[in-house]
Amino acid sequence: MAPAGSWEALQAALDNGADSIYFGVDQLNMRARATMNFTLEDLPEIASRCKRKGVKTYLTLNTIVYDHDLSIIKTVINKVKESQISAIIASDQAVISYANTIGVEVHISTQLNITNIETVKFYAHFSNVMVLSRELSLGQIKRICSEVEKEKIKGSSGDLVKIEVFGHGALCMAVSGKCYLSLHTQNASANRGACMQNCRRKYKVIDMEDGHELALDNEYIMSPKDLCTIDFLDELIETGISVLKIEGRGRAPEYVATVTRCYREAIDAYYEGNYTEKKINEWMNALDKIYNRGFWGGYYLGQELGEWTDTSGSKATQKKVYLGKGIHYFPKAKVGHFKIESQALTVGDKVLITGPTTGVIETEIASLQVDGQFVKSAGKEDECTFTLDQTIRKADKLYKLVAT
Amino acid sequence: MVIITHQREKCIGCNYCVELAFQRWRMSKKDGKCTLIDGVEKKGFYTVRVQDDELEENQKAANACPVKIIRIKQI
Repeated sequence: MAPAGSWEALQAALDNGADSIYFGVDQLNMRARATMNFTLEDLPEIASRCKRKGVKTYLTLNTIVYDHDLSIIKTVINKVKESQISAIIASDQAVISYANTIGVEVHISTQLNITNIETVKFYAHFSNVMVLSRELSLGQIKRICSEVEKEKIKGSSGDLVKIEVFGHGALCMAVSGKCYLSLHTQNASANRGACMQNCRRKYKVIDMEDGHELALDNEYIMSPKDLCTIDFLDELIETGISVLKIEGRGRAPEYVATVTRCYREAIDAYYEGNYTEKKINEWMNALDKIYNRGFWGGYYLGQELGEWTDTSGSKATQKKVYLGKGIHYFPKAKVGHFKIESQALTVGDKVLITGPTTGVIETEIASLQVDGQFVKSAGKEDECTFTLDQTIRKADKLYKLVAT
Repeated sequence: MVIITHQREKCIGCNYCVELAFQRWRMSKKDGKCTLIDGVEKKGFYTVRVQDDELEENQKAANACPVKIIRIKQI
C-alpha cells in the first residue's frame, strides 16, 4: 500500500506496482497540514484512475473527531460510497460506526494502537483489515496473525481478518502517533494532522535549580531514524501479514516511486524464491538516495529502545535540482521538448520528470539538441529536446539528480 | 477599527476561533472549515472590518490558530 499525497505521487505509485494507495482530503487526516491533500471533488477521478489498473483506494479519515466535525465526516463518507473508493482508514468510533451503517468498508488505523488478539476480535465486528501498532515485535505480530487463523476470526464481510503493518518510512517517538508535543508548544495538534514535528529538533536539558545545561550524547534525542524492513522482509512476510504499508503522504513523487518499486520487487522476489543479499544491497542503495533520516528496523527486531537520528533533515545521497518545464512530446520520434529555466542540462546528466498525469520518469541524457543542433549542454532560457520513451506533458517539471 | 483576515482554504477545522470569538466565527457544516462571519472573499482571503470591542477575542483566536491563517490589523 503506497502513499499518495498528490496526483504525481498517485501516478508514481500506480506505475511502480502498488496494489493499493491511500490518501487524504482537506482536513481530518493525519497530514492535514500538507498542502498536497486532495479535495472531495477529486474522489471519482482517483477511484477511476486506480480501478483501471486494478488498484484499491483508501481514504484516511483518522484524526481525533469532535462534535463540530460530525457533519463533515458524514459528507466525506457519503462521497466515498458514491465515488466507489474501496474503503476508509479510521480510528474514531463515530467514523467507524457511520461507515458501517451506510456500508462503507473500514480499515482500522494504527492510531487505535492494536497490540493484542482480543482487540483484533473486538474490531472484527466493524472491519476486515487492521493496521497493528508500530511498536510490536515480529514475534508478537506472528502470534496475532496465527491466532486469527486458528480462531477463524472473521471480519464484518465474513472473510478472515487481514493484518497490515508499516514497512517503510518515518517513525514517531510517540506510541502510535499519540503525541502532545506539538499541541503543547505551538497549539497545533498532531492528532488533528497539524504536527509541527518538534521531535525532529535539537534539545538540551537544563537543571532549573543551578542552571547547568546538560549535554546529551545524541542531540536529536526525540527524533527516530526512519523505518526500513527491506533487509528482513522475508521474516516480516512470514509473520502472516497481508498488507505492507509505506508511510509518506508528505513525500515527493520520486520518493513514492522508488520506495514502491523497491518493495514491489522485494515482495515478488521473495515469492519467486530469489530474495538474495545482492538484490537487498541494490534496494538499500536505491533507498539511500531518497529522503531518509538514516534507517533502522523499527521495533520489529526487538531493540531495547529507539535508534535516534544524528542529523536534522535528510541523509539522502541524492537530491533534485529544478531545471525547467515540459513543452511538448513527439510520440513518433519519441522526443521530449523542454524549456530550461535555471541551471544547465548536460549530456550524461541523470534527470527526473514529474507531472500529475506523467507520474515520475527517471532517465539519463544520452544526447541533447538545441534548435536542431546536437549540443553538449543547454543553459537557461534554452529550449532543448532529448529522446524519451515515455510521454511527457506540458508544464511537467524537469529536474537534474545530483549527489549530495 | 479592526481588520480580520482569514485564509479559509488552509483551515483544518479545529474550532479554536469559534470557542474564543463565537460572534465572529462559525463552523461550516458543508466542508468542516471555519467561516468568518460577514467576511468578503478576494482571491481566497476573507476580510471583514469590525469595531475595536471585537479586537481582544479575535486576537486570542488568531494566536490560538494552529495553522496561523487568521490576521488581525488595527487601523
